[in-house]
Amino acid sequence: MRDPYEVLGVSRTASDSEIKTAYRDLVKKYHPDNYANNPLADLASEKMKEINEAYDAITKSRGAGSSYQSGGYQSGGNQSYSYGYQSGGSASSPYAQVRSYINANQLDAADSLLNTAPTRDGEWYYLKGTIAYRRGWLDEARQHYQTACAMVPSNFEYQNALRTVQGGYTPYRQTNYQRSDMDEACNLCNALLCLNCLCGGGGCR
Amino acid sequence: MFGYVRPRRDLLAQSEFDAYHAAYCGLCRTLGKQFGFRSRFLVNYDMTFLYLLRTSAAEPSGVRNCWCPARVCGRRACMQDAEGFLPAAAYTVILSYEKLLDNVRDESFLRSLPFRILTLLFRRAYRKASKLLPDFAALCERQLAALQELETARSPSIDATADAFARIVSGCVNDLSDPGLRRPMEQILYHTGRFLFLADALDDLKEDCAKDAYNPLRYRFSVSGGALTQADLDYLSQLTDSSVNLAGAALELLPMQANRILLENIIYYGFPAVFFAVKTGKFQARASLWHNERHKTDHTGEST
Repeated sequence: MRDPYEVLGVSRTASDSEIKTAYRDLVKKYHPDNYANNPLADLASEKMKEINEAYDAITKSRGAGSSYQSGGYQSGGNQSYSYGYQSGGSASSPYAQVRSYINANQLDAADSLLNTAPTRDGEWYYLKGTIAYRRGWLDEARQHYQTACAMVPSNFEYQNALRTVQGGYTPYRQTNYQRSDMDEACNLCNALLCLNCLCGGGGCR
Repeated sequence: MFGYVRPRRDLLAQSEFDAYHAAYCGLCRTLGKQFGFRSRFLVNYDMTFLYLLRTSAAEPSGVRNCWCPARVCGRRACMQDAEGFLPAAAYTVILSYEKLLDNVRDESFLRSLPFRILTLLFRRAYRKASKLLPDFAALCERQLAALQELETARSPSIDATADAFARIVSGCVNDLSDPGLRRPMEQILYHTGRFLFLADALDDLKEDCAKDAYNPLRYRFSVSGGALTQADLDYLSQLTDSSVNLAGAALELLPMQANRILLENIIYYGFPAVFFAVKTGKFQARASLWHNERHKTDHTGEST
């Protein structure tokens, strides 16, 4: 295991509050929500695990009973982020299989299975958009997300995906150069999403 | 290749800019040493970025003064990293040669003559480079053929056409074995390639319309008078912003030891500035980074 201080990017003499700040910044940067639908979500999840372990190791070795529960930031451990906001109803549909292909980065398999689906509803367009997004086909992804949002205007997951592909939300970026107003709106959205997950809502695994 | 991938010089400290310049000079020197003097003419900003990215996980390299043929008398600071520069130089040679071949294919016999001569000049360098990276030369040919097919079919999909090109660019890390490095780098390079393709398509739009040549933007959007509507331009900007975001998300996952400031500058500031300049018709691909005064209007046409 790497030196926990190195993982958090702080010196060994850093104060508890400095460590906490560094930890919070890293958690914010690598939070699963920031890598939702990103093909590198699994690497981000590993990074989060490493950060949490480093923080736990430091707090343990310093013997300070921290009130900051690092485990709380992990969304279920593995890479099933895009399940997080799904309403429980559609678990039995073929879409569940498509989602698991997508999460395993088997995009061709996901695409051909999706093309055999009998209906083209909002979820279909959302998944089609997600496959395109993972491939880096952003124009197509945006068109599909827009259709999904138009068909099911109330779905939070679709709206969030559309907002991401529109290029507005850049949480990992330390240096912002544009669109702070957009960021604020999205931060609020993500805070609510986060809250929803933490409270055990929405079928979060 | 294109000159679209470059840092915002006005946002770099002098020492950081010097490091960038030393990497550029190091790549040039390696091209000369490994692939013959004339290969030095192939050095460019885009491939300097590739070098910086590929070596970001290694310890920073030292700098030494070297003879520079572009300066009549005098030496330049030059990064010493033979191991890191060699693959970057080989990729530079292969990409440049493939681009020349592509030009030969695209143009009529007379117009393609200069390119034919150039391919002869670089043939030996290309052979050596493709021996080092045999898979990559094959990948280039495959993807350029796919691009040609889309062009013949007058494809309206900017995703499909950009994808054919971006796969070549993301192939520039195929030789790396560690997936923890390769996968984020592939994503960065894929979106760099996509950005390059879209910026180039937008830059050439007017010319292509006049010549009635293929340009995916002509078939994807409604173009009048060789220009896109403001709404379409904004849409295209958002697409490239998304690419910047995805490249940035991948950059954060790299275990970086060196070049962080330069890479962040190029991706977060260089890309948007270049795209803005292309959009407003002010981009000059040939404008040198080295001769501009600091804090004046920079090469991208965006003043600070």
